[in-house]
Amino acid sequence: MSAVADPDVVEKEIRIAAPPEVVFPYLIETEKMILWMGMQAELDPRPGGVYWVNVNGRDKASGKYLEVVPPRRVRFTWGWEGESSPLPPGVTTVEITLQPDGEGTLLRLRHTGLPKEVQASHAEGWVHYLARLADAGVGRDPGPDSYAM
Amino acid sequence: MLDLKLHAIAQSSRREILWLVREKELTSGEIAGHFDVTRPAVSQHLKVLVQAGLIELRRQGTRRLYRARPNGLEEVRAFLESFWEDRLGQLKQAAEADYGRDVDERSR
Repeated sequence: MSAVADPDVVEKEIRIAAPPEVVFPYLIETEKMILWMGMQAELDPRPGGVYWVNVNGRDKASGKYLEVVPPRRVRFTWGWEGESSPLPPGVTTVEITLQPDGEGTLLRLRHTGLPKEVQASHAEGWVHYLARLADAGVGRDPGPDSYAM
Repeated sequence: MLDLKLHAIAQSSRREILWLVREKELTSGEIAGHFDVTRPAVSQHLKVLVQAGLIELRRQGTRRLYRARPNGLEEVRAFLESFWEDRLGQLKQAAEADYGRDVDERSR
């Protein structure tokens, strides 16, 4: 069987020059989460607990932690809040694993379950979000959300 | 077209229909079987979705088959690829700065 890339999955890998014990808190602690994901966060890192990040002042990533295994793995559901969201909360799942790599960490992220509904029907919605989220995480206000009116 | 799409997906039954036909073709009867609402109501939803270009209709004899239109996939993937790449880049920066401080303190 040849390996065919799963179209419903986005995978990322990055090497970090810090051990998993140092990286892991960035996945579960609010003060550290906002340093890479957004402006404001509400996190309850246990199965069923809240995962909520205000990414740029208007767009909020929302989900629930499914699995928390310090300092190796977290899994949480993920989506954007809002009626016109192209990816509503609860539909997709993100898994982040931290593997010791010398003195550092090999971080792997798998974002799974991208539904065909979103893929097939929300192209314009995604373009809209893409434009707005280009500034995400650096605390820049993307301006009024024309969809919110 | 965008307004039509937004209008179409603003309604939860229609989002549910889109979800049902995302990967396989279903007849209107099969789709209606998933809902408590009347067949005409489902037909109306299907019509709105077809007009918005979100699903397509294929006739096979007397059967009417519906499925989601396969487009936008690459945009979604491209979006998430760049979103996570940017975020993880910042995570790396923050964690490495953090660890650098730790090491400094220990070596003092």
